[in-house]
Amino acid sequence: MLEIENLSRSFNGRSVLRDISLRLAPGEYVAIVGESGVGKSTLLNLIAGLDRPDGGRLRLDGEDYALHDEDALTRLRRDKLGFVFQAFHILPHLNVAQNVALPLWLQGVERDAADGPARQLLDAVGLGTRGDSWPRELSGGEMQRVAIARALVHAPRLVLADEPTGNLDPANAARVLALLAERVRAAGAIGILVTHSLEAAATADRTLYLTAEGLRG
Amino acid sequence: MERRLFLLALALGAAGRNAVAADFAPVLPGRRLIFPADHGAHPDFRTEWWYATGWLSLPDGSPLGFQTTFFRVRTGVGEDSPSAFAPRQLILAHAAIADPRLGRLRHGERSARVGFGRAGFALGQTGVWVGDWRFALDGGRYRAEVHADDFACALELQPAGPPLLNGQGGFSAKAADPRHASYYYSRPQLAVSGSVTLDGKRQPVRGKAWLDHEWSSELLPEGAKGWDWVGLNLDDGSALMAFRLRDGQGQALWAAATWQLAGGGARVMRPAEIIFTPGREWRSPRTAITYPVEWRLRVGEREFGLRPLFDDQELDSRRSTGSVYWEGAVRVVEGGREVGRGYLEMTGYGERIRVG
Amino acid sequence: MSGQVMGWRRLAPVFLGSLARRRLATLFSLVAIVLGVALGMAVQAVHEAALSEFDRGLRNMAGAADLQVVGPRGGFDEQLYARLAARPDVAEASPVLEVEARLVGRDESLQVLGVDAFVLARVTPQLLPRADSGDRFAIFAGDGVFLSRAAAERLGVKTGDLLRVQAGSAEVVLKVAGDLPALGDDRRLGVMDIAAAQTLFGKLGRLSRIDLRLRDGVDAEAARRSLQAVLPDGVLVETPAAEADQAANLSRAYRVNLTLLAAIALLTGGFLVFSAQALSVVRRRSEFAFLRAIGLPRRTLFGWLVGEGAVVGLLGGILGVAVGHGLAWGALALLGGDLGAGYFSGLAPRLQFQPLASAIYALLGVVAGVAGAWSPAKEAATVAPAQALKAGDEAALHGGRGHPLFGLALLAGSLAACAIPPVDGLPFGGYLAVACVLAGAVLLLPSIAALLARLMPVGGPVAVRLAVARLAAAPGHAVVAAAGVLTSVALAAAMAIMVASFRDSVDQWLTQLLPADLYLRAGRAQSGSYLDEALQARIVATAGVGSVAFTRHDGLRLAAGHAPVALLARPMSAAGGGLPLVGQPLAVNGPSLWISEAVQDLYGWRPGQQVELPLAGKPVRLTVAGVWRDYARQTGAVMIDLDSYRRLTGDRLVNDAAIHLAPGADALRTANALTALAGPGVLELAFPGEIRTITLRIFDRTFAVTYLLEAVAVAIGLAGVAASFAALAAARRKEFGMLRHLGLTRRQIGWMLAQEGALAAGVGVLAGLLAGGAIGLVLIEVVNRQSFHWSMDLHVPWLSLLTFGGGLVALAALAAVLAGRQAMRQDAVLAVREDW
Repeated sequence: MLEIENLSRSFNGRSVLRDISLRLAPGEYVAIVGESGVGKSTLLNLIAGLDRPDGGRLRLDGEDYALHDEDALTRLRRDKLGFVFQAFHILPHLNVAQNVALPLWLQGVERDAADGPARQLLDAVGLGTRGDSWPRELSGGEMQRVAIARALVHAPRLVLADEPTGNLDPANAARVLALLAERVRAAGAIGILVTHSLEAAATADRTLYLTAEGLRG
Repeated sequence: MERRLFLLALALGAAGRNAVAADFAPVLPGRRLIFPADHGAHPDFRTEWWYATGWLSLPDGSPLGFQTTFFRVRTGVGEDSPSAFAPRQLILAHAAIADPRLGRLRHGERSARVGFGRAGFALGQTGVWVGDWRFALDGGRYRAEVHADDFACALELQPAGPPLLNGQGGFSAKAADPRHASYYYSRPQLAVSGSVTLDGKRQPVRGKAWLDHEWSSELLPEGAKGWDWVGLNLDDGSALMAFRLRDGQGQALWAAATWQLAGGGARVMRPAEIIFTPGREWRSPRTAITYPVEWRLRVGEREFGLRPLFDDQELDSRRSTGSVYWEGAVRVVEGGREVGRGYLEMTGYGERIRVG
Repeated sequence: MSGQVMGWRRLAPVFLGSLARRRLATLFSLVAIVLGVALGMAVQAVHEAALSEFDRGLRNMAGAADLQVVGPRGGFDEQLYARLAARPDVAEASPVLEVEARLVGRDESLQVLGVDAFVLARVTPQLLPRADSGDRFAIFAGDGVFLSRAAAERLGVKTGDLLRVQAGSAEVVLKVAGDLPALGDDRRLGVMDIAAAQTLFGKLGRLSRIDLRLRDGVDAEAARRSLQAVLPDGVLVETPAAEADQAANLSRAYRVNLTLLAAIALLTGGFLVFSAQALSVVRRRSEFAFLRAIGLPRRTLFGWLVGEGAVVGLLGGILGVAVGHGLAWGALALLGGDLGAGYFSGLAPRLQFQPLASAIYALLGVVAGVAGAWSPAKEAATVAPAQALKAGDEAALHGGRGHPLFGLALLAGSLAACAIPPVDGLPFGGYLAVACVLAGAVLLLPSIAALLARLMPVGGPVAVRLAVARLAAAPGHAVVAAAGVLTSVALAAAMAIMVASFRDSVDQWLTQLLPADLYLRAGRAQSGSYLDEALQARIVATAGVGSVAFTRHDGLRLAAGHAPVALLARPMSAAGGGLPLVGQPLAVNGPSLWISEAVQDLYGWRPGQQVELPLAGKPVRLTVAGVWRDYARQTGAVMIDLDSYRRLTGDRLVNDAAIHLAPGADALRTANALTALAGPGVLELAFPGEIRTITLRIFDRTFAVTYLLEAVAVAIGLAGVAASFAALAAARRKEFGMLRHLGLTRRQIGWMLAQEGALAAGVGVLAGLLAGGAIGLVLIEVVNRQSFHWSMDLHVPWLSLLTFGGGLVALAALAAVLAGRQAMRQDAVLAVREDW
């Protein structure tokens, strides 16, 4: 359960987010749509614990972000969150399976033990044969599929995707979005897809609109 | 005694070879020894020594044997060198204490060339020193002073009578050939008083000692492998010096003996009258050399048994003079009872000795 | 915590994999550290080998001696032996006459000790000779000499052979009578009877040394004081360790200087790690942000980045230790134990692996790696992931504006450090000043870069304008590349200035000191060779000889614990003409003394001061008339007029002669006539040109190692430029692609890169030359003066420095172009699209 209550954040006196509230139950997959500069990334950073709100409250499975210091938030991300970025952020010096296994490594799972789950997830995103490939051998779409596998490999409670198709062509984008929705639902996690594209947002269960006034259903 | 000649032969080795240039004084029969002049050194001769041995007793009555020896050697080297260090004359000294409680000898030695006050000798009177070791005749008494690493002695030796001239009036033959001879006199029955320092503890001692003074230029006869020598102070006031030279088979090549009679006067024995018979043997654990440490000695009509103060009185001086020999305190037994005490020296029981 | 330990292993591919991917930059860092560590290790290993050998040799010679009585080189009265041996606190005294006997007809000499074999056993048993015949008294033979194995091998003789040596200007024949079985293998030495040595070498009545063993329980220091009280002037009692210390001290300054150079190489290595890591961190900013986002703790990230540096450092350290031992081995074989400086002649040191020193040097590699990685790691760990996650947030290198105030403070501090007097004979103040100048220059580097950018012309071709704009806007990159250049250029320039000044001064000194046409000597000054009066007369009378100035050499002991001071007696004018004087001479009444700078430093003597000199065992009052420069004798030298010397000592012998030819005389013919005065090979004749050539050759050989170190440091600096440009060029492919889109040709981009490289190197070279000039001054005025006690005139090799600096800038430009070629070749369109 993700609980957001009256969240607000301003930068240099300019209010970016005001009084945002949102509750998402496990298995819910929502899209947040808004124009550039409306604070989508800020909201996402707050939910990820990479930034602190000026007011309001954030809780994931009852854990209050405000009570966590930086290390605790880092642990929270490591254990409960999965990320998919526009820029993929695949490490070039690790092979595909190792990239997927990375969140497990951070959790303290041994490299050998992490290999199995990583390859399972690769299988699930249709890259079962590419585990030993190097990132430079992949296309953009394949890279983002690797990123999706990596975001889910450690069974996170919450998956955050920030414009995951921004760097992809339309055909690849559609495939990646469908795959993301499918995998988040299959994992029973909460999914939040941040995008400026209504088309992309349509792959989620419901779409929320972020405007200067707030978050609307 | 030629025993000491042997020691020196070992020590000096090729000094003889180097000595071609030097003109050593010969030992000739018929020269009368004159005292006190002949107590002093005779630097024209190749070798000379003052050799004191004897028995001491500590305040608690326990016995010690001692020997102090000062050799003077004319090397024949550097006779015309202008250097003050020229090694023309050397002084070599040995000292040993036989302590039955230790069961072996304490030994020390010094050597130096004469000069710079480091070593020297006196003419006309006994006086020889090396470093702080000295031996001198002073006011009718000999004084001996030595300082070794683990012992020291300061002794006064009081003669009981005039010198005992060995051989023919001090001309002591070593072989049938008169070239092998020395000037040799002894001072038996010396009354000893003084102190001995053992393990840092200085104790007064008293005892009886024997002094030999001998000088010569010529080496030992060919064929001699070693010798046996005794200097015995008998309780009745008499004294006996006897030696024999052995060949490789242990047979006597030459023998000599001199009696100091109890009432004064001396008697020189003929070689045939002297018989050394070895008895019990002892084997050195250090050198594996076997020595006969008990003897029967027949001189004329008398026969004595010799019993060592203790068995291990072997002196290993291979580091300095290069020889291993047995030199120790012995009791003199006659007819089953002790009649005197003295010193026994046995050389040449180990490897064959190289002479000259 | 074991989980943490396992965590290190688990995450290794994430970070170390990155190191492996940046092979070129990593390799450059590694090489820099390897070289720094290797050079330090080599200097250490070689000197340790030489010193331990020297020390062992001395210990062999000193044996069980508690004290040693030493005096002037000419020796002292042998009666001191009788006096000392009789002292109650002396257990044994061993008189020694030491002679350096020149071998007739070969350029070789043999150290011969005249000894008394009887006392050796109790004082210095190591010197006990063994006769081949087994004859103990063969040592007394008047012509017998016993050789150490090293001496016998070197001279190629065996027992029974004859050895022709020079005594005075005559020849004597020695017979090899046996060996010295107890002496270490490496000491070249002969032993003979002291009486024979005194007689053969004309040293009757003289001793060079007395080794003393004290009685048990006698305090050595108390005995030293009480014995010293009975000795005449110029004869000193010393502990045997003092001589070893003197030798160690003598070479220590040289060794510390070399080690310092190695340290600077290591420092440069550290800078390379810094620039490699700094650039890598910039490139990997979003990577780190991503890792932080998915849950990598800040501390772990920092730890891993420092760990990357440590791995490079450790690898470099281990390789460096190995390479260092190899270098040391080679150096020992080629140059000898003093790396060509001439401190340990007559020794054959063996290299030994030293676990502790090796570990320390390997650790220094790690320290350099960690230090280099520290600040970039710190910066990476503080990056806020939220911003850095955005694509395209690279390139900004936080070179910042540096710390100009702190830098200026350090420069000021270096001035103060120069005033610190030497500590224990070592110029620590000078080293501190060098460190301050270097650190200050590095901290001022961004300001210098900004200044340079402002001074650059605004116009010009577009490539130049772009390069200058980049330097002005983002000096960080240039600063990172320039830091390595700065340290290496500073080092090279400082050494070049110092060596040039030194060489120039030595050259002038030689010219002043060698005004005559011909020089004649009977052998090395230390040797037992001399020219007696008869020979002196014949030299003067030789056809073609105009005037002759004879010189007598001796060595004096002025104070306990100090090495001997050389005494030179030669005809002197009142104004000290012909001497390379420092400052003005004083007009002095009575006999005057001319002291070298070392004597001034070590004994505190000043011109005008009345001093006592122990001549012939008597204190003689002389007035210091002036100070002269002497590059030959680090332990000091004094000079007096030959006539005064003869009057004071009665010593009529001399060691060499400076000969002015008669007008019109033929130099070669005169030379031949002079050599014919004594037996063949006895007299050595040299022309000043020859002496000068040989001296300068020795000088150059001594500094060969420093040239090597300089070259290495410069190579490292260049490697730094190449590495940083290679690293950055990869990251700037998009920029290049964009520029190509805008219409720049590839040639123009290459030109731009060249400009950037030249600018970065230019900043480093400029700052390096400035810092190097300052360091050079510190080396001349502080380090050399305090280490070796000699001054020199500043001589800046402007042309070489400018050529060197210009060449370096050009090379850096080339390196930048080469490093960027990969990026330029990429398809421009692709590069713009590409995210990586």
